[in-house]
Amino acid sequence: MSIRLTFWGVRGSIPVPGPTTVKYGGNTSCLELRFGQEDRLIVMDLGSGVRELAGVVMKKDLPKGPIKTKIFLTHTHSDHIMGFPFFTPIFIPGSELDIYGPVSYEEDTLDKIVGDQLRYRYFPVRLDELRATIRYFQLKEGSLDLGGGLKVTTKYLNHPILVLGYKFEFEGKVLCTAYDHEMFRNVFDVKPGDPGYDEAAVKEGEIAAREENEKVQEFYRGADLLVHDTQYTHKEYLAGKTGWGHSSFEWAINSAHKAGVKHLVLFHHEPLRSDQELEGLYKAYMSAIRGRTHLKVSVAQEGKTFEV
Amino acid sequence: MQDKERTLAAIQAYISRMPSLPITVSKILQIANDPKTSPSDLNQVISLDPVLMGRVMKLINSAYYSLNNQITSLVRAIIMLGINTVKNLALSTAVLGQLSAKNNFQALNIDGFWRHSLCVGVTAKLIAIKRRKDPKRLEEYFVAGLLHDIGKIPLNNKLSAEYVSALALTDKERAPLYVLEERTMEVNHCEVGKLIIKNWNLGPVMEDVIFFHHFIDSYPGENREILLTVAAANFFANTFQIGFSGDRYPEKLPLAVYEELGITLDDLEAMETQANGEIEKAKIFLSVVQ
Repeated sequence: MSIRLTFWGVRGSIPVPGPTTVKYGGNTSCLELRFGQEDRLIVMDLGSGVRELAGVVMKKDLPKGPIKTKIFLTHTHSDHIMGFPFFTPIFIPGSELDIYGPVSYEEDTLDKIVGDQLRYRYFPVRLDELRATIRYFQLKEGSLDLGGGLKVTTKYLNHPILVLGYKFEFEGKVLCTAYDHEMFRNVFDVKPGDPGYDEAAVKEGEIAAREENEKVQEFYRGADLLVHDTQYTHKEYLAGKTGWGHSSFEWAINSAHKAGVKHLVLFHHEPLRSDQELEGLYKAYMSAIRGRTHLKVSVAQEGKTFEV
Repeated sequence: MQDKERTLAAIQAYISRMPSLPITVSKILQIANDPKTSPSDLNQVISLDPVLMGRVMKLINSAYYSLNNQITSLVRAIIMLGINTVKNLALSTAVLGQLSAKNNFQALNIDGFWRHSLCVGVTAKLIAIKRRKDPKRLEEYFVAGLLHDIGKIPLNNKLSAEYVSALALTDKERAPLYVLEERTMEVNHCEVGKLIIKNWNLGPVMEDVIFFHHFIDSYPGENREILLTVAAANFFANTFQIGFSGDRYPEKLPLAVYEELGITLDDLEAMETQANGEIEKAKIFLSVVQ
């Protein structure tokens, strides 16, 4: 197998440990990617799940030599960076960590946003005391050759701050992420006569939203594995969650189907969703699409590995 | 030469903290502070403030796209960036305007400058409509017109004393403002405008329009059509005295420009009512209801 993906955090917004989240897990976003026979490690997001991943890395990778890896952040909301102080390799001399991610519209740089968590007011160890070499790289849309036949491409998604979707290509296989992401909406679309109705803006907004959604779909067209935001059901989305920057199951499944994705993994679970509810929803969606698509659909679960 | 370099350095420093126009500040604050703001209100208030418009365009283009794929549509920018991001940007720009309002616009009259900028934006778009340009590009004509005199803001606000004398000299000598700007400050608003457009990363089309709008004869590039359109709209606003941006004695628009654009002076005259109507509508919109 070319690419192996293991989830260490699948939850949106905030860690939710407890009896109702035991099966799928309560940690926030963290993905372990492994490439090829060398088992090359790439980390996606530093949510609370990265603490578990750190244990794996210490046991499996450290005996082979210092940890040298790249970490890609989808964005800098706290649920995607909060685990950074608990990623043990940062305390180990010889570790070399390259952290990549987008920076939103503020003036702060990536190192400040991520590294500021290591200040006395938040944590007993300061950034200066870390023994690892940590480098930060601000990303925009584009492609990077990561060497060894591994290429990564980024695409801006729709969220209240800048978020990047990632596409990893290796040995002819493609893994994409599209979280945290909400479909682009025509925010100008109000009824004629309502305050703020502007016919020209409604028309232009319609085209803009459609084109931006097509671009995202094009980004993951034909992917072997797509990890997509599915925080809400469509009903929940319409009942007060529009503009929050997350997708519905319906949107993700339809969009992945249209883009010819082979395997969709439902991800970034709503923190209030219990294991039982999640399973119920999964079954309902599976029966709704049965026989209507070749798309394979799975639910992201802590500790579970997907291979392509 | 040293003086010019010093002037340009001072202007560069000013550009990064350039405030909104005092005329739009209150409305921007009202709209950006309102949690229930409609996107079209946001759209409208931004399109009435050249500085804010420039900043939103900078943000969308620096975040999302390479120079080859400039976004000039505010509607698309709001959809892509999200309402909250645009509101935050509007707030920070307007607050700068509030802080510096006292020192603003000592030479140029703010209301006149604002009316002139808006008139050129509206008229450039009207000319483009008349010329049946691609509807997708109409906003670009508006933005280019709205921003064409943006270089006057730093000159007026940073070098107020010199700007007062430049304006006085235009009356005395009956000469175009840019000529007197060069004499009194060694730079003209076109050069300063280009600095701003570069700083905002708005791309080659805007850069050319802003830099060459008084020098169309010497323009060598490929954005000639939009440049001529804005130059014609500017001449119209000056001649018909809709707003006032210091150019009481502009150079005449060469006849060849009318021919090249396929419009007549009568066509421009016919746009007067519409341009004035748009400005009055904007004025009503900007009045803050307490």
